[in-house]
Amino acid sequence: MSDATATITPPSREAGIPKLSVDALTVERTLANGERIVAARDVSFDIATGEFVCLLGPSGCGKTSILNVLAGLDRASAGRALLDGEPIEGPGPDRAVLFQDPALFPWLSVRANVELALELIGVDGDERLERARAALASVGLSDVLDAQPHELSAGMRQRAALARALACDPSVVLGDEPFGVLDAQTRELLQNEVQRVWMGSGGRTTFLFISHNVREAVLLADRVLVMSARPGRLLEEFRIHAPRPRDLDDVLVGRVVSEIHALMLREQERPGA
Amino acid sequence: MPAARREPGRRSIPGMTDTTEPAEPTLAELDLSDEERVVLARVAEVLRRINFGTVVLVVQDGKVVQIEMAEKFRLR
Repeated sequence: MSDATATITPPSREAGIPKLSVDALTVERTLANGERIVAARDVSFDIATGEFVCLLGPSGCGKTSILNVLAGLDRASAGRALLDGEPIEGPGPDRAVLFQDPALFPWLSVRANVELALELIGVDGDERLERARAALASVGLSDVLDAQPHELSAGMRQRAALARALACDPSVVLGDEPFGVLDAQTRELLQNEVQRVWMGSGGRTTFLFISHNVREAVLLADRVLVMSARPGRLLEEFRIHAPRPRDLDDVLVGRVVSEIHALMLREQERPGA
Repeated sequence: MPAARREPGRRSIPGMTDTTEPAEPTLAELDLSDEERVVLARVAEVLRRINFGTVVLVVQDGKVVQIEMAEKFRLR
């Protein structure tokens, strides 16, 4: 029974300033034909330091728009996005972003890709090499340090992108469906990898992943926020207290997955949705 | 089973024992071990905290080794 106390921890969100905060955020986008659409409307949530949150919703519900605002790549039309209580004005090395596409420089080796990220934040010399090596080792890429990205599988490229993100020791990792295009098996491997990395960060690194994969969200997150179809609003929040690493076969994981599936189906069938 | 516990409107036939419902022993009659008390106390603690959700007890070799839960909040 000694384990049980560790698995059920009260939400720490009430204490202190949240790491990330989205306050009545509305994001509009302009389409190529000039039409303005509301991607997300009046969305509010806080994320505490060290939390792992997944934002889940159907395509086009504004998940990416919200993430882009938090990454500093896009501006809010209304409302605020805060990092450590300060308004987010632009991108910064404190927030690493993982995209669906690994976005490695094709002319640089895997190691050089990671080193470049470190160089940009001012890490030089031996330390840079050491940190690049350590980051690549942590995602199991020690044998391919000098390979070019095109020589690697899609899964390995995404691992390299993860290593590049982690090498800079960001306080926040934002993932925009980072495993979206991978095959099911590679995807599961990387999900386990991310669980391991998050556990190893000892509550220092905050993760926000967006996904439309319910199983992935429940497997990874402390909290799953479910959004409606466009314009995206928050529908329900699931707080999952279960030890990691989790498994897709876990009873609780399966139960929450089916509950969220049912919720999303109801939402899709709702008149006017 | 004491008659007082029976649902209202349910008739009992004199001389017959109702076996369709298991008897509900009181907590004192259960004769719980210390370990069982700890488990039940933890479960009660969880139940007091959540309004909607799921609680899962993981049992290994006859012992509860883990309590997991998922809490649900409606935001709209």
